Amino acid sequence: MGPASLDEALVKAAQGGSAEAFSRLVERHQQAVRAFLRRACGDWAQADDLAQETFLAAWSRIGRLKAGASVRAWLCGIGYNKHLTAIRSAGRERARGAAYEADREVSLEAAPEDRLALERAMAGLPAEQRACVALCLAAEFSHAEAAEALGMPLGTVKSHVSRGRARLLQALGECDDAS
Amino acid sequence: MTQADERVKALFAMDEPPARDAAFATAVMARVMRRRFQEDVAMLCAVSLGGGVAFCAVWPTLQPALVAISQGLAPALGAIALAICLMVILGGRPSADLPLGS
Repeated sequence: MGPASLDEALVKAAQGGSAEAFSRLVERHQQAVRAFLRRACGDWAQADDLAQETFLAAWSRIGRLKAGASVRAWLCGIGYNKHLTAIRSAGRERARGAAYEADREVSLEAAPEDRLALERAMAGLPAEQRACVALCLAAEFSHAEAAEALGMPLGTVKSHVSRGRARLLQALGECDDAS
Repeated sequence: MTQADERVKALFAMDEPPARDAAFATAVMARVMRRRFQEDVAMLCAVSLGGGVAFCAVWPTLQPALVAISQGLAPALGAIALAICLMVILGGRPSADLPLGS
């Protein structure tokens, strides 16, 4: 059974109320959702909290997931909305900004220079651009898949990825061969 | 994909969470189960409350009928209750031929 058909079988079982099937979906997709949220919001601890809330929301909404839809894209879409909601609460945004900078100083102290440059460049991107870059450049989503997950027009996603990629390459001191 | 893209991707891969993380999956499922339990309790409370209100509403009509029926059915209901009690008590005893000792 392929990954897509296995997902479909698990979703069907979870829609029937099987917690075991949902648990397997969590195991299969936790890495993609957490990686996306880590890159989208920068704060790993908050990213993991958001990932938990994402799966909790997914459990409540699993009945609405259409047959054949990409589970990974659907989960990342829920995660992105959770991330935006967190950003919109002004107090948390300020706190996160401060926490983000503090966290970078500590966790990246011993990290390679390139990684530090990438993290800083990512932190400097607008939230939408960061999400598009996290999905398309880091997680190998197609532009169409990312557009579906993030609820953005395809052209917007392409533009965000292109601009974000240019900023990242600039930060890493790479020349942009594709442009 | 250009070499620069490969480099970006490799750098992103450095902060990838583990493919299997039992602690995370367990934490998620604990929250899911807690949510499910809360929903079940909320539904049971709502049904009980609704049932109680409905029962109170129909009680004035129901009471005379129940009194009339109970007078006729009391001996039969008593016998059934006794039989059920006996079945539960005797059914709960270990059978004499069970290998309890060596």
